[in-house]
Amino acid sequence: MYEKDGEKYFVLDSHTHFWNASPENWVKGAEEYAKGWIECFHAYQGLGPPETHWSLEDFQKYSPERFEKDMFEDGHVDVAIFQPTYLKEWYAEGFNTVERDAEMAARHPDRLILNGRFDPRDGDPGLRQLEEDAERFGLKGVKLYTAEWNAGSRGYKLDAPICAPFFEKCLELGIKNVHVHKGPTIWPLDKDAFDVADVDKVATRYQELNFIVEHVGLPRIEDFCFMATQERNVYAGLAVVVGGLMHARPRFFAKVMGELLFWVGEDKMLFGADYAIWEPKWQVEGLVDWDYPDETYSDYPRWTTSAKKKVLGLNAAKLYGVEVPPELRLPVDEEPASREDSQLVESS
Amino acid sequence: MTEDDVLAALGTVYDPELDEPITALRFVAACEVADSGAVDVRLRLPTPQCAPNFAYLMAADARDAVLALPGVGEVTVVLEDHYTGAEINAAVGRGAGFAEAFPGETAGQLGALRELFRRKALVARQGRLLETVAEPASARLGDLSGPDAERCRELRRALAIDASDEAPAFVRGDGTRVPAGELARFARMASLTATSLEANGGVCRSLLQVRYGMEEVAA
Repeated sequence: MYEKDGEKYFVLDSHTHFWNASPENWVKGAEEYAKGWIECFHAYQGLGPPETHWSLEDFQKYSPERFEKDMFEDGHVDVAIFQPTYLKEWYAEGFNTVERDAEMAARHPDRLILNGRFDPRDGDPGLRQLEEDAERFGLKGVKLYTAEWNAGSRGYKLDAPICAPFFEKCLELGIKNVHVHKGPTIWPLDKDAFDVADVDKVATRYQELNFIVEHVGLPRIEDFCFMATQERNVYAGLAVVVGGLMHARPRFFAKVMGELLFWVGEDKMLFGADYAIWEPKWQVEGLVDWDYPDETYSDYPRWTTSAKKKVLGLNAAKLYGVEVPPELRLPVDEEPASREDSQLVESS
Repeated sequence: MTEDDVLAALGTVYDPELDEPITALRFVAACEVADSGAVDVRLRLPTPQCAPNFAYLMAADARDAVLALPGVGEVTVVLEDHYTGAEINAAVGRGAGFAEAFPGETAGQLGALRELFRRKALVARQGRLLETVAEPASARLGDLSGPDAERCRELRRALAIDASDEAPAFVRGDGTRVPAGELARFARMASLTATSLEANGGVCRSLLQVRYGMEEVAA
């Protein structure tokens, strides 16, 4: 919980990690990729305030105690959702598996939610693994990284036929939330790997699932926003937007926030700190303090106290069925914010 | 021929995704001209995992731009510190296409991808030009001026869209005129696309600075 100027905010960090990228976990022969991946993440950390930067060594692997301090003691986070990233082609035990997250979650079962994953290229064994994981970890969500390399393949699209049995399995297992993270590669390599058209198709097909597009579709914010206006069950994950732009590029951050509030709306945006790339503390405090820098942004919807409360926690709490203490809820169960303007754009 | 000539040639090479010259983005790490006329260009990108297709296009375009210089000798373009650098450098070095760089992993060449991003870039640039004219619906391309307008003309020529002064100033991505009744919607879409490109460019600049320990320079 974060309190500022008499307002109390329930903070649900929808995107966190407990990874091991230390050299002893690098796959022999793939060290270059394993090293490149974590160094790339470390460079992203450089976009946050200087006082929040870690050494590369600390960043490669951090302790449960550090995680607890950064999330719960200093970071104002009430509940966080682990989003796994396996990358077993590069990391021997995986970069950030649900098993590893589960060790951390066992210390705070009421505050840490475990999301699973699947890779449609794993076929039937992958389906069985998803069943096992769902039972063992009580999964309500999965995180999909479509650019993951797997046995010579450099990625996949969500509307590929091999994905359908996995989405059906999610429905059967009560996994409601599908977090999608696009990366730089898919098959075929000459297509735009960041294109979100495949999310659009599966969101239409699987109305019972919620699709949370991580990093708001970055670098295809425009395609993502337009798609999100058309699909009831598509949400924006704010990880990287806040961490990567709020401090480093404040004017671009203001425009992106304005566009997201206009197109996607405050009811469908979810805060995610993307720890340990960025610590939640400065992001939570910064979002509560934030406003547009000047009147040149007057065309965009306002960043109100209720918008802050929804985005920082209440929206994600609804998707994951997390109980919010009564004093941290909105006074009345408000109707979703009006999106008349963007509807005008859609219908014309 | 001097390094400045080579850099000027490289200044005509655009990052297809960001629609900015690779020199302005500081993607040219080094450029050397030998007495023999041989040119060696080193390119660097914000992350080791930047998309291979765009990385290939920039490296191949850089080679073509330098090869077009009069009196140039052997040209070497090397993309440094990239996770598919070996494949890309080998293919670009022998003048081979993207499909040859990644055999079996493509469905064709990169023409369609490049065209798609030219259309996005055209919409984004027009978004910034809309407020410079009083009557956008009736404005002619000749009414527009400045760097964004110049780039719009280049993009329109590349996309085979009429780029004459008499042509409509504002066109959709497919080249058709934006009707007066659609201007408000078009302005919103164009603003969104421009914001996306600008934000991506911002993230790329920031990451490159962190990766190579560079000082901030004006965009």
